[in-house]
Amino acid sequence: MEVRRKERIDRGIKVRSEGIYCVSSPKEMLYVAGPRLLLIAGLLLLPLVLEMAPYWKRVVNIMCVYGLLAISFDFLANVVGLVCLGGAMFIGVGGYMTAIFNVYLHCPVFLAIPLAGLSGALICTVLLLPCLALRGVYFAIVTLMYPLLFTRIIEALNILGGTNGITGLDSFPNPYLENYVIIVLLLIFLFGLRRLMDEDIGLVLRGVKDNDQSVRASGINVAHLKALAVFITSFIGCLGGAYLAHLYMWAGLSLFALDFSIIPIAAVTIGGGGSMMGAVIGTFILVPLSEFLRFFGTFRIVIYCLILTGFIVFRSEGLLTYFARKYDQFERWAKI
Amino acid sequence: MLEAKELMVFYENMLALNNVSITAETGSVIGIFGSNSAGKSTLMYTLAGIMLDIKKKEEMRGGERITLFGALTLEGRDISNLPAHARAKLGIVLCPERRRIFPESSVLENLKIGSYLTGIRERKKNLEYVLGVFPRLHEFLGRQGGFLSGGEQQMLAIGRALMANPKVLLLDEPLLGLSPVYQKIVIEAIKEIRKTRGITIVVSEQYSRPVIPIIDKGYIIENGSSILEGTKEELMDNPDVKSAYFGI
Repeated sequence: MEVRRKERIDRGIKVRSEGIYCVSSPKEMLYVAGPRLLLIAGLLLLPLVLEMAPYWKRVVNIMCVYGLLAISFDFLANVVGLVCLGGAMFIGVGGYMTAIFNVYLHCPVFLAIPLAGLSGALICTVLLLPCLALRGVYFAIVTLMYPLLFTRIIEALNILGGTNGITGLDSFPNPYLENYVIIVLLLIFLFGLRRLMDEDIGLVLRGVKDNDQSVRASGINVAHLKALAVFITSFIGCLGGAYLAHLYMWAGLSLFALDFSIIPIAAVTIGGGGSMMGAVIGTFILVPLSEFLRFFGTFRIVIYCLILTGFIVFRSEGLLTYFARKYDQFERWAKI
Repeated sequence: MLEAKELMVFYENMLALNNVSITAETGSVIGIFGSNSAGKSTLMYTLAGIMLDIKKKEEMRGGERITLFGALTLEGRDISNLPAHARAKLGIVLCPERRRIFPESSVLENLKIGSYLTGIRERKKNLEYVLGVFPRLHEFLGRQGGFLSGGEQQMLAIGRALMANPKVLLLDEPLLGLSPVYQKIVIEAIKEIRKTRGITIVVSEQYSRPVIPIIDKGYIIENGSSILEGTKEELMDNPDVKSAYFGI
């Protein structure tokens, strides 16, 4: 009997355009930049294409907010090794901070959002500092508790508008700005984080995930690094929250909803972790899908869960890993 | 008798094992020698069936594709496609490289986990036997595995494998990182297990000098291929082997 096996070979163009070789021909440039350009162009054109469907434009906005949360979750979980279920905390803190700046202190929208991002990130980092030594599931539990804590505090003390929330936030000056602010933010942070991963600090952060004792032995303060990583992620999350509050013109307790913690994780699972890009692709599939499934009412949760379970069981590598492999490699049968 | 015929293992496009055939007669001690990256651990994992698990895991993760070829038989029965736990039930028990004991369980608990498949009566008998082979473990029965020294952990790992009543005991680098004193203890233990239990033992090791006197047959593996096989005298008499592997 003839014995053969399927082998995977890198495409020639991948080998030529990678590593020690430099990109030389337009074809190679397109090969490298193509998928990225496709994503950027697609995102930038989306609001124009959906001109006639304001509802779906809003879905795109929310999708991008979830995208921000998903890349921050992916960064913290798959690069630094801290499983953070605190998406809701970031969104809530960011939303309330921008409300404070905008409504109480009368800052304009485009000053309130960055200020809310920074101050919110500071608050989240300080709150999470004592837990940074915790690993795995303990850190996850703590981050999951904080949103509940905030909700109860606001409810019980009746501060910051209590259960009614803070109303009267400024909206964006025009609908295009509303779309493009969040799209550009997503693109900046997506490519920024990917760049950060390739820098020295990204390497060290990955080292923290693999073996923090060895990182300490190299003379690097792990606690500082983790705090920095948490600051970056909570900054991204808080910006998303601040944007969302201005989108709704309202900051309320529903900003601390569990959805903001759960959907990003699901998105990373579907898209494939560790590359940020997978997280974004995951949200672009999941959020519109849940809108389509709205037709089924509450039953959509069941369908949602089934799809997720299917992905985890049968394709836990994630869509991006799968498609990247098809893009970079071809398969053929080889005789042995 | 454990028989492996023309084993081939590919990690993606890298050939890790190339046409390796091994025959281990019942009750004999087989030595597998080779330097780092020669394919010893791959061979041990393939014999124990753990390679199938790794293969599945990599497929799920989208990592390297592992391809296996060849036939494995235990006493005439084809076990090539049996998963690791089923092979353990048949009596092929691996004592993995770097011990892999359960660090947060006590020594006694570690041993008990090893005897999960056997009944209570067997467990008692085996426990006595293991403590007979490694009398030093007596002192540590209540201590956490993770706090033992490397040598003690190795004794525990071999003990745990023995608790499963193996027919074929696979020892992957049992001397790794051990002092000469502990090396001697382990080697003596292997000798005694062979004498009292009469089971097949496959030992893989880089540093073959302490192991070579106790083997019946040895294989030398280089770059995934078995380049030489023979009795210990045949191996010892080969001039290349002498200089390369035994440092004589």
